[in-house]
Amino acid sequence: MGRIFLEHLGGLKLFNCAQCHTNLTNRSQLISTRFTGATGRAYLFKRVVNLTFSNIQERVMLTGRHMVRDVMCKNCGAKLGWMYEFATEESQKYKEGRVILEYALITEAEGFPSEAPSTSH
Amino acid sequence: MQSTTSTSSGSGSRPSEGSAQNSGGSAENVASGSNDESAGIGIGDENPSGSSAATNGHDAKHNGFLVNNNGSSSCIVDGENNRENTSYSGVQLDKSNQEIIRLIGQYLHDVGLDKSVKTLMGESGCYLEHPSATKFREHVLMGDWAKADSDLKDLEPLIDNGKLSTITEMKFILLEQKYLEHLDDGNPLEALHVLRSELTPLQHNISRVHQLSSYMMCSTNQDLYQRAKWEGKGIVSRALVMERLQSFMPPSVMMSPRRLKTLLQQAVELQSQHCPCHDMAWETNLGTVSLLTDHCCTTDGFPMQTIQILTDHCDEVWFCKFSPDGLKLATGSKDSTVIIWDVDPYKLTLKHRRVLDGQAQLSVSFVSWSPDSKLILVGGTEDSHELYIWNVDDGKLVVKFSQSLEDSLACGAFSRDGSRFVCGGQKGQLYLCDLNGTIVDSWEGVRVNSIAFRADNKTILAADNHYRIRGYNFDNPHSDFDILREPHPIMTFSINSADRLALLNVSNQGLHLWDIEDKCLVRRFQGIRQSNFAIHSCFGGVNESFVASGSEDKVVYIWHIKREEPLAKLAGHTKTVNCVSWNPVYPSLLASASDDATVRIWGPKPNGSSATTESDDCSSSSSSSSWNMT
Repeated sequence: MGRIFLEHLGGLKLFNCAQCHTNLTNRSQLISTRFTGATGRAYLFKRVVNLTFSNIQERVMLTGRHMVRDVMCKNCGAKLGWMYEFATEESQKYKEGRVILEYALITEAEGFPSEAPSTSH
Repeated sequence: MQSTTSTSSGSGSRPSEGSAQNSGGSAENVASGSNDESAGIGIGDENPSGSSAATNGHDAKHNGFLVNNNGSSSCIVDGENNRENTSYSGVQLDKSNQEIIRLIGQYLHDVGLDKSVKTLMGESGCYLEHPSATKFREHVLMGDWAKADSDLKDLEPLIDNGKLSTITEMKFILLEQKYLEHLDDGNPLEALHVLRSELTPLQHNISRVHQLSSYMMCSTNQDLYQRAKWEGKGIVSRALVMERLQSFMPPSVMMSPRRLKTLLQQAVELQSQHCPCHDMAWETNLGTVSLLTDHCCTTDGFPMQTIQILTDHCDEVWFCKFSPDGLKLATGSKDSTVIIWDVDPYKLTLKHRRVLDGQAQLSVSFVSWSPDSKLILVGGTEDSHELYIWNVDDGKLVVKFSQSLEDSLACGAFSRDGSRFVCGGQKGQLYLCDLNGTIVDSWEGVRVNSIAFRADNKTILAADNHYRIRGYNFDNPHSDFDILREPHPIMTFSINSADRLALLNVSNQGLHLWDIEDKCLVRRFQGIRQSNFAIHSCFGGVNESFVASGSEDKVVYIWHIKREEPLAKLAGHTKTVNCVSWNPVYPSLLASASDDATVRIWGPKPNGSSATTESDDCSSSSSSSSWNMT
């Protein structure tokens, strides 16, 4: 397997994997909290790191037909949510490339202020 | 008489064109000049009897330079020539062949084989240089300034199309030397005459004239030499003047000095640039390489072949590092152990010395050697908060360092003087500690993946979670500054021993070489595959002329530091190669650590065995290189 290389997004309010505490994203990447997954509440994020992705699947959701991939923690392999590859409905296009993390599968943690680089990724 | 210009044009005929453009008079100047006794370095054959047409091949076939406007042979002349030796062979030579003959001729002349030059020029019908140019040189070197000046008149039409400013500059250079020599002789009156009635009327480079006039005031000759930065009257300063003058002459009139040697040196330089395993400590020049074959550093001694497989670890091996003295290797594994190996530098074999396994449950992700090769700093992955310092000689634990259970300490390094170490991780700590494990200083709020000390023992370089490498200086007050930034995460990096270059394993991108002084990306090395795992690379080889890296495609890559394409791919491991280390003292040894739970030692091919690598085998031709240290 090698030593898994993990990134860290930094930030003041962190979201980590509930199982292994690997950093996934932070509050500044949060788009919406009004989603629902298999375990209940789920959050939509702009950018999430340290994920592995499943093969693409077609799923019909409340908001229409989507092509999605399940996302897992790169460190411990726990399933965390899914990401939107393609949305058939025009109104749902904003979700493409974004990631849903189920709230029950992640934890919140405190970060610290850090000098962010001049340009964002 | 037939004209030769039509047939010989485009070959070595530039001088004749030049003359043809001018009046027949200048051509006659050349012709009459060529009868001078001092025609010197054997240009072609001489023909004072006037029976030139027959022997000179004075026809369209004649090679090279002819001035032939009026049908008389202007070609070149040396009274003592033996008719039999020098008769023109009638061989037709094209332009490049004529040039080669001229190069050879000049070379033979330089080494003093003047007889051969005469024979060669006679037989080939080539000329070495324009006869007036020859006389010009002779006169300059003899210090016969009047004759040199008249030779220059002859050459005028051939130089820069007779452009006045160029000729004036050349005259000026001649007169400068003449003036200085008069001063050197203690003839201020003569010198003054040159200054007034020869230099000044040229109306050229007035400021230099003023400067020259100031040299009149020099009290001694030594003073003159110093102020004028001049060698004094004689062959040395005249030769320098001649080289300056020569630069104005087209090569068809006079070749630049030692032209053949210059060309050969260029060839050697080019060959060494293309030499795949070129050892940059080895200065290539005409004195150190053979011209008879292309230069190519031998691959003897290059670590190309597995010479040992170390199988003592029982899980993935994540790290390996030779000690600074080259006599030990430390390998760290997911199995929580570090194994120390002894290097036999003569047999190039490694022997198990001891296992350091006091790091309970710590998957060893890095090892750093102290500069005296006695201590190692060992650490684990992101979920580890402990570091260990071991004495490798007696196998005792020196320090177990832990500050807080919340810490993540996944990278660390000894300072280059061995008095301290630094460690850090993704939870935001950066600790500077002494060898007792006491925190000397700390830095808040940086998440780091990889860390290194610079040679000043004060500046710490760290790759952080914002894809940067930044410098941190723990002096009071603390200061930090950007060194570089990549568009993708930097997994690991290392600094070369000259403290100038950084080698970065960039996630999904590959291996990047940065200059940390100039803060610029120098090179992207091609080939390796890395996406999910922290792969380590290293500098190495003689004079650190090479870099090597592990890769997720199971091979060890080696590049020459100046080339993007890999020079060798060492196959053998059956899973991801996590780390490579090049022995800093015995550059024939390279170690690689892999997920297949083995460490491979790469070394030179034993004599006579066949290559097992995919690299191009370089036919070793030339002399020694510094690879074979043993």
